[in-house]
Amino acid sequence: MRQISGTKTQEREFFQRFGLQFRVQHTLLFLSTITLIITGVPLWCLGRPEYGWSQAAVCAFGSIETIRYIHRAGAAILILVSIYHLFYTVFAKEGRRQFIELLPRQKDVIDVTINSLYFLGLLKYRPSFGRYTYYEKFDYWAVYWGCVIMIGTGLVLWFPDVAAKYVPWFTYELAAEVHADEAILAALALFIWHFYNVHFNPSRFPGTLLWWHGKISRQEMMHDHPLEYYKKVLAQLALRSATQAREAETKSKDQKADTQ
Amino acid sequence: MSKGSIVTLCLLLVLLAWPVAVPRPALGGGLLGDESDGSRAQPTHLIDLFPENIDPNSFEPVKGEKINPNIDESSKVLLPFSTKWTCGECHSYNIINKGWHFNAADPNVPPGRPGQPWIYFDARTVTQIPLSHRPWPGTFKPEQVGLTDRKFVQIFGRQMPGGGVGEADSDDPQQKMRQYISGKLEINCLACHNADPGQDQGGTSGYAVQVARGNFRWAAAAACGFAQVSGSAEDMPDTYDPFDPFEVASAKEGQKPPPTITYRKAVFDHQNRVLFNIVREVPKQRCYYCHSNLYLGDAEKTQKWSSDEDVHLKAGLTCVDCHRHGIDHNIIRGYEQESLVSGNPLAATSSCEGCHLSQGQDKPQRGRLGAPVPTHTGLPPSHLKKLTCTACHCGPWPAENTHLTKTSRAHRLGTPNVNKSDEVLPHIIAPVFAKQLASAPVAEAAPATEPAALSLSKGAGAKSGGKIAPHKLIWPAFWAELVDKQVRPVDLDVVRRTVGEVFEKLPLPQSGDWPALSEENIASALAALVKVIKGKAVYIAGGNLYSLDDKGVLHEEADHPAARPYLWPIAHDVRPAAQSLGAQQCEDCHSPEAPFLKGRVCVDSPVKDKAGVFRAMTDMYEFAGPVYVRVNLFFKLLIIAVMTLLILHILGDLYRRGITKIQKLKIKNKNCGIAAKRR
Repeated sequence: MRQISGTKTQEREFFQRFGLQFRVQHTLLFLSTITLIITGVPLWCLGRPEYGWSQAAVCAFGSIETIRYIHRAGAAILILVSIYHLFYTVFAKEGRRQFIELLPRQKDVIDVTINSLYFLGLLKYRPSFGRYTYYEKFDYWAVYWGCVIMIGTGLVLWFPDVAAKYVPWFTYELAAEVHADEAILAALALFIWHFYNVHFNPSRFPGTLLWWHGKISRQEMMHDHPLEYYKKVLAQLALRSATQAREAETKSKDQKADTQ
Repeated sequence: MSKGSIVTLCLLLVLLAWPVAVPRPALGGGLLGDESDGSRAQPTHLIDLFPENIDPNSFEPVKGEKINPNIDESSKVLLPFSTKWTCGECHSYNIINKGWHFNAADPNVPPGRPGQPWIYFDARTVTQIPLSHRPWPGTFKPEQVGLTDRKFVQIFGRQMPGGGVGEADSDDPQQKMRQYISGKLEINCLACHNADPGQDQGGTSGYAVQVARGNFRWAAAAACGFAQVSGSAEDMPDTYDPFDPFEVASAKEGQKPPPTITYRKAVFDHQNRVLFNIVREVPKQRCYYCHSNLYLGDAEKTQKWSSDEDVHLKAGLTCVDCHRHGIDHNIIRGYEQESLVSGNPLAATSSCEGCHLSQGQDKPQRGRLGAPVPTHTGLPPSHLKKLTCTACHCGPWPAENTHLTKTSRAHRLGTPNVNKSDEVLPHIIAPVFAKQLASAPVAEAAPATEPAALSLSKGAGAKSGGKIAPHKLIWPAFWAELVDKQVRPVDLDVVRRTVGEVFEKLPLPQSGDWPALSEENIASALAALVKVIKGKAVYIAGGNLYSLDDKGVLHEEADHPAARPYLWPIAHDVRPAAQSLGAQQCEDCHSPEAPFLKGRVCVDSPVKDKAGVFRAMTDMYEFAGPVYVRVNLFFKLLIIAVMTLLILHILGDLYRRGITKIQKLKIKNKNCGIAAKRR
């Protein structure tokens, strides 16, 4: 175990922040997203002759058809993960709980305000965050928005005949434009914003494996999600008290029985 | 044996030998050459030549005496041979002259898909107007602009195969007299079927020159390669008799010689027959004389040597491998649904789809003549429903702007003294992607005075309902009168006399381009024109209609229906599959900067202020342009706004971390200092 503070080595306490289902979904999500970005950029640049390097990218994959197949494979995985996640948030107890936690609240608006003032040096202390900070909720809902747009426009591009039949006003060119613009936004948000928050910020650099094992240390929880930490501590205390009370009651009953 | 028996025997022998000795008409009642016996060998055409003569009693045309180049010209006139009476010996002329190339003026013939019109142009009167005998919407009939059949033939006959209006009889006595002198412009069979390299359609004394001189009777013979024609029928007085040897001799001595012919005697054999190199399969050079194109690029002049020929020809096919016909000469044009219009079921098999895609019912259809069968891998089938084959496979590769293009019939290519500059009139623009007009039978065809069905306003393409195809386009420019809201072109002679006089001093560019016309010029011309016509004088040019109000002020009505451009589909040159639009990437068309979407159609106008005006290519068919632009803008702003906020957040976080780190270090140093002091 890593030395945390002082001269004594201490056993670090970890909490299970994300369960297996959540982690599997996240893994598939980021693998498919990164595949889509890597294959999507050369596809987009082919229509723009000023990006001559796109030809080199195509050659690296072999052919434009290969890139298209890989892109569509990634898209299929993304669609499956999205559908699974929908079912997860509706039918799984843990999923419902997580989803409710991720819903935006009034506290998030207050947290944004307090944090902004904190960044500007007008306040000394950061806001206290619960299970999900406002920027983690933003990450989640941004992905929600992005998936809806990317999957919708992607399907129009993939099946233009069907789209022309049922949504003729949504032309191929319009879908291609929206798809590309949203992809740019998603890629920037992912590689700049999300990566900073989870990997590159100084308290986590060079990165965290939270996405892999789902565990968060006590220190991290106290620092980043204090409200949740104290909720857990209180819950543990309450549980301990209840256990102790039950044990005491059981003991007194036994003693009475003995005396009688 | 008695004398009577011998005579009977002889008669019997003659009767028995008759079917063999005398050439019988072919099966079906036609002449010998109307129906092939199945041999693919070329029949030898060592034949007698016959001129057309006029019966002195009935003045009807009759077959003349066989041509002998050694006749005594003091007693007989050496006449040109007539294709009608020479070729007509074995090939039914009356059937042939109903073919597509000759039946333009027949109102009973369905016009089919709009094609290239005859374009009358005159830089002096700033006119370019599409004319056609076929009722293609957007064109005008020659008589609407005062062109008689004779005049029309004289102007455009250079690249007409004869027949049709060239042989039309006129009721006008004056026209009849001139026709007697000039003769009729018969079908020039040799223009297509003579494989001799000496066939002279466009030379200095060839077919085109003879037609221009009014030597209709002599034109076919002048082009054949073994006859020389001099003189001009146009110069002859109305009373001239070309069949009278004395008049001919007397005219020869005058200053303006009459049309006369001299044959090269060496080509005649001992029986005065001539050997023609006649072929059934017309060589492409014959077709090219009337059907050549020159697409002029933007940055550099596109030379003939730098442009590629049609891939079908490069693969070894000839024009007539697809554009077939029988003795009826109803040539297959090769466009989709032609069989519904022409009634010829074989037309369906000779179209792009017929050879390349059609599966056939009883037997395979596609793959004829080695045609590759495309799989169109990765191409959504909707493309085949919304685009013609030619949209992706034909014509010049679309560029940012459309270009000028030249054609044989519009620009007299292949004839003497052609102005070779790029800007010479008429101005034909290509490629323009637009919805094709449906090919309607004659009962449904719009009258020629109505403007073209293709509209420049968005959504109007839905009215035509056709597939998107590449087109050539011409912006008409002509002087007209407005009567009961109908725009009718003014007689060209009237225009020449009035407008031509007004513009007499306008400098004409040597390039053959429009003169620079100002609005004052137009106003002056309209003021002169209104004095000689009944209706309101207007000028159509560049999509606009110009007129004078009661106070003499010039008004311009933009996008007037009568000023719409006339378009006709491009079908050649076909590019190889690897060079078709979309072969490399969908973005050839489906990208923000693709010429198919963002291309600009030049608006050709002689008016100075309108130079350099363009229309969007998407005006030619439905396209959700404004929505696309707004969505694009929305996302750009969204990206900027969101990323700005996120980056500011990151910077803020880093800043606070830095401040906190510095403060901790200060406190740590302070504590270390205190601890050191205590020690």
